[in-house]
Amino acid sequence: MQEHAYRFGRAKHLVGMVGLPPSLSGNIGVIVLNAGLVHRIGPFRLHVEMTRRLNACGYPTLRFDLSTLGDSGASSESQSREQLVCADAADAMALLSERAGCTRFVLIGLCSGAVNAHRVACTDARIVGAIFLDGYAYRTLGYRVRHYLPRILNPARVFRFLTRRLHSAQQVDAPVFGVDFPPVTQVRGDLQDMLRRGLKLCFVYSGGASKYFNHLRQFRECFGRVGTHPDVSVSFLKEADHTYILAVDRAHLLDLIEGWLHRNLPASTSA
Amino acid sequence: MMTQVEAELPCHFGASGELFGIYHPAPASPSKAVLLCPPFGQDLVRSHRLYRQLAHALVAQGIAVLRFDYYGSGDSAGKSMDVDWTRCIDDTLAAASELRALSRCDCVAAFGARLGGSVALAAATAARLVELVLWDPVLDGATHVDRLDALQASLQHDTIRFTRPRTSEDIAGQWLGFVIDAKFRQQLIDLHPDPPTIPTLLLDSLPAAATHDWTRLAATDMTVTPLQAPTPWDDLDRLELAILSHELIQLACSRLRETP
Repeated sequence: MQEHAYRFGRAKHLVGMVGLPPSLSGNIGVIVLNAGLVHRIGPFRLHVEMTRRLNACGYPTLRFDLSTLGDSGASSESQSREQLVCADAADAMALLSERAGCTRFVLIGLCSGAVNAHRVACTDARIVGAIFLDGYAYRTLGYRVRHYLPRILNPARVFRFLTRRLHSAQQVDAPVFGVDFPPVTQVRGDLQDMLRRGLKLCFVYSGGASKYFNHLRQFRECFGRVGTHPDVSVSFLKEADHTYILAVDRAHLLDLIEGWLHRNLPASTSA
Repeated sequence: MMTQVEAELPCHFGASGELFGIYHPAPASPSKAVLLCPPFGQDLVRSHRLYRQLAHALVAQGIAVLRFDYYGSGDSAGKSMDVDWTRCIDDTLAAASELRALSRCDCVAAFGARLGGSVALAAATAARLVELVLWDPVLDGATHVDRLDALQASLQHDTIRFTRPRTSEDIAGQWLGFVIDAKFRQQLIDLHPDPPTIPTLLLDSLPAAATHDWTRLAATDMTVTPLQAPTPWDDLDRLELAILSHELIQLACSRLRETP
């Protein structure tokens, strides 16, 4: 494992850590985006574990802080947040290209990181794959049936629900950082377009996303044929929480990511 | 002219470059430098922003600053289960040397929150620190371990976080997201830092209900200053919320500016 920290970007405002494999044999680099407001090491150091494991598998990686997050500053540009994210991702790709010769890239993002990965994957031709952790999904009729029916029929769950509501009502001063989802038709269209361009897509949902996702088949309920496309993989780690606080869940997630990359975008192939 | 953020220098140091740090240079040749010793585990993640804000505030006062991660934490090399108390103290000594070399200033003070404060206290003499600012330092390691064990145990049945209770095996050997080694656990149980021998400001923001007795650290040149708002270090419901305190930054900066 060989890591080096860089200050980089069009305004030298970004901070990130490039990790290199023992030997460079391919042209695919993996870029890990911030999860919410957590700096680049990720929740419970998930991104450090992830990038080092991928380095050991032969992938150059970059975990970095987007503008104004973690240790990165502002670029002083007058742009929307969406434009800034795309420009920061372009800077990240330029750095990984310069340091490891990468020409094709896979993005990994959790929560708001998945939203940002989606945004960049929509527009940048160098992206060949993306791993969305608790990314877009929408409540469907099936979701509601699976969610509410067992609760209505089980008095213990009704009690637990009421207890939770009471508990959450007491947490009035805790800030909530939500991610606004665009209309499902837009996201479906984006995904279809990515697949037409040849991207490989991996969606992983955790039990922590249970407020909007509760079964594997929900993906197809949301996105139709995208859900059965051969270049799409969907997993549901129901036991895990949103940020993978337990080591056993992190290990499971990393196994899944490594396996998916090996099968779909092997480190040693060139294009 | 370089902005403050542009001037921040991510760096690697230590015997084989295994430690990660960010150096914040002072605008002019500084008469003092401050080493920011991070707390451990999730406290480190939660207070990252505050440490950065504190570094900026100190630089604005003409003080050079180094933030760093211990081996096995943050961006430094090593796995979480490699964190070792003795190694953390050695890393702090290495960081103090690095700060002296980068800033060309021999007068180094240290700031640390929670276990970061305990490390700073333990390393003070060997690192030739001139002053300490400690924020809710851990003075009774056994009590701290009991508290972390209790929080970890309550995770098992946290049905807000998990869709169903987890097994004892799933939660074993970890504290709030981080795998811990048995040796490190014992090192913390044995932790009872000696009182400081240098000027020290202790900032107290522990909730009234929390067990803490600063008098066992009583030293001739130590001041205890309470913060107005308690810090929710051990609140499972806020485990992933950043810890921020403008009051703390003001008090720490004021103290570090005033003293030689």
